[in-house]
Amino acid sequence: MRMKSAVRGLALGAAASLSLSAGQAFGWSLEEAAKPYAGTTVDVVFLLRPGYEAAEEMLPEFEAATGIKVNIIKHPYENALGEQVRDFVAGGDLDIALIDLVWIGNFAENEWIVPLEKFTSNPDLADPELDIDDFFPLVLNAFGAWNDTVYGLPFDNYSGLMFYNSCMLKEAGFDGPPKTWTELKDVYGPALTKDGKYAFALQSKRNETQSADSFARVLWPFGGSFLDKDFKSNLLSEESQAGLKFRQELMQYMPEGIVAYDHAETVNALAQGDVAMITEWSAFYSTLTSPETSKLGDCFGVAPEPMGPAGRKPALGGFSLAVASQADEDEQAAAYLFIQWVTSKANAKRYLDMGGVPARQSVYKLPGVAEQYQFVDALVESWQDGVPEFRPRFAEWPEITEIVQEWGTKIMLGDVTTEEGAAELGKRMEAVLEEAGYYAGEKPLAQ
Amino acid sequence: MQAGRVSRLTVFGFLGPAVLSLALIGIVPLVFAIYTSLHKYQLTNLRRTPFLGLENYQTVLSDPSFWDAMQRTMTLLVIVLPLQLMIGMGIALLLHRPGLGFLKTLTRLSLVVPMATTYAVVGLLGQITFNLKYGVVNQLIGFLGFDPVNWLGDPTNAFITIAFWDVWQWTPFCALVLLAGLTTVPGEIEEAARLETKKWWTILRHVQLPFLIPGLTAILILRTADTLKLFDMVFTLTRGGPGSSTELISLLIQRVGFRVFDQGLASAQAIILLIITILLSQLYIRLIYREVEQ
Repeated sequence: MRMKSAVRGLALGAAASLSLSAGQAFGWSLEEAAKPYAGTTVDVVFLLRPGYEAAEEMLPEFEAATGIKVNIIKHPYENALGEQVRDFVAGGDLDIALIDLVWIGNFAENEWIVPLEKFTSNPDLADPELDIDDFFPLVLNAFGAWNDTVYGLPFDNYSGLMFYNSCMLKEAGFDGPPKTWTELKDVYGPALTKDGKYAFALQSKRNETQSADSFARVLWPFGGSFLDKDFKSNLLSEESQAGLKFRQELMQYMPEGIVAYDHAETVNALAQGDVAMITEWSAFYSTLTSPETSKLGDCFGVAPEPMGPAGRKPALGGFSLAVASQADEDEQAAAYLFIQWVTSKANAKRYLDMGGVPARQSVYKLPGVAEQYQFVDALVESWQDGVPEFRPRFAEWPEITEIVQEWGTKIMLGDVTTEEGAAELGKRMEAVLEEAGYYAGEKPLAQ
Repeated sequence: MQAGRVSRLTVFGFLGPAVLSLALIGIVPLVFAIYTSLHKYQLTNLRRTPFLGLENYQTVLSDPSFWDAMQRTMTLLVIVLPLQLMIGMGIALLLHRPGLGFLKTLTRLSLVVPMATTYAVVGLLGQITFNLKYGVVNQLIGFLGFDPVNWLGDPTNAFITIAFWDVWQWTPFCALVLLAGLTTVPGEIEEAARLETKKWWTILRHVQLPFLIPGLTAILILRTADTLKLFDMVFTLTRGGPGSSTELISLLIQRVGFRVFDQGLASAQAIILLIITILLSQLYIRLIYREVEQ
């Protein structure tokens, strides 16, 4: 609620600044706004993923129009946080922060990023067409905002979706994918696991994949969560345990060694016809539909993630771009112009066509988009039924995710029971939160 | 100035840059690591870096994760080091035999390839080699009619894989060092010994081994230090998994320092590892040279 009002406030602020300088606003153009910053170079970290390739392809147009040079530094996801933290701590060169939704608390509390309002309230920089309300509220809130302040604009946006091999399902006598997790395990699992093929693969490698894609994915739909309202561990609750036990039971229908599966292995397993269904990020749609990387062809299908007793609660992940506070004023302005441009409503369709997944509501309402991109309906539905704190977004997440990764994997391997694992995990998680000062009231219980 | 004596300024002029570089590259980071190990030094919260005294060391020494990782590292060491020495010795003895000149040159050259390959690349090669479905190893096993082995997804197999891969990469190093040692054995002594006995073991034990001691000591120290800080290959191959099954001590330190960002704790772990490495090196030198002196 507070978040909604903050977003509305920001939108009103932008609108107010627009109306205060109506003359300028109506005559606003990117070229004019960028004139004072021509020749400025802004540095940004990009990942090796389809959405970033799309933005990179679009980039020459921005550079030609503005004279601003965008210097892209590419990192795999696993290195992106460390590289940025070191750069910000050392007062380095990065002018734009690429923020995974679970990093935003960390970045904001360290004041490494600048609140967006600084730029949206500047009529020289703010595009009157920014239309911040056009972003899916859940996505803007989760990816770009912290403690009622918007810092970043959603750029590379994911929701968990179910991708499936419709031909394998048909052969086994199913008309479509399962509607619930229980149905997946009890009906689809036994029917589709045979002859070296598996019904399902849940990427569970011991990195952020274990925390986000595997552990959290089975908590929320079963009514569980990492923390209760007092920030104490909720992992021993009946609901959380139900989710974790479900994962253990589902493993019999997954390929051997699933704890070593990252995104690449999982997507490849579906693409090569080795598994019938996966739940993966929407960003892998282009990989699975491209004949160069997938054998699925007409057998490809996509649906929302199955529902649990507590609802769908699909995996939520993605990145926003925010202006780095260490940049000087010109670099900050240039950085903002780039962020505003690359996430704009005007560029959303092109970004989508090139393999990106924009978070603009308007683009998915355009005629033909839903027909052209099979994932649209599932994605839109997911972004209306997600939880922003799918993984807690506070500054302590990097510490906590390591604990989840270690003990989540131990649970999957059967080294400990779900109860033992959850108890140890909870104990260690609470120790981190205790030290951070949450229980002493030094920090607000925000996640 | 006396003839033949070098002025102090010249000595400083020549040695100074090297000593200064060494101090900057080696000593300063070490001192900084000691400093951070005595503080709460969370990279994401550098506004609060209180002095903790030995608390980080206490945390490390009472942390089961640290001792588990240390145990895995030591297990790896006691598996791979004897294997590398034995296989390396075998290769060196074969290459030391007279004849087959061209083949031996070719073998010597090919021995350089694994150890000249970057650790990280070796790890990536391992991912391809040991992949469950597409890996070369499982393809070969398949040709022989066996079921594929889950090399990287099973905790025990993953540990065996990194041990095997380390042996593959570093046995050539042992072979080449030992071969160099064998070439220092005077030909006439070796020839005389061969006239006395046909037993290769007797010749190795009483004639060749004394000449191999310096090389063996170097191998023990270098390979122990390298195995204790083995990181890149394992990181790119298994990333310490599945679970913690291949999380060696260096991976744990990297995880704490650069993923949890607790530089203070990671520094304390690294200092403890350094002390263990120095102690082991000293132990080798004392034991081996005492053996020689006796």
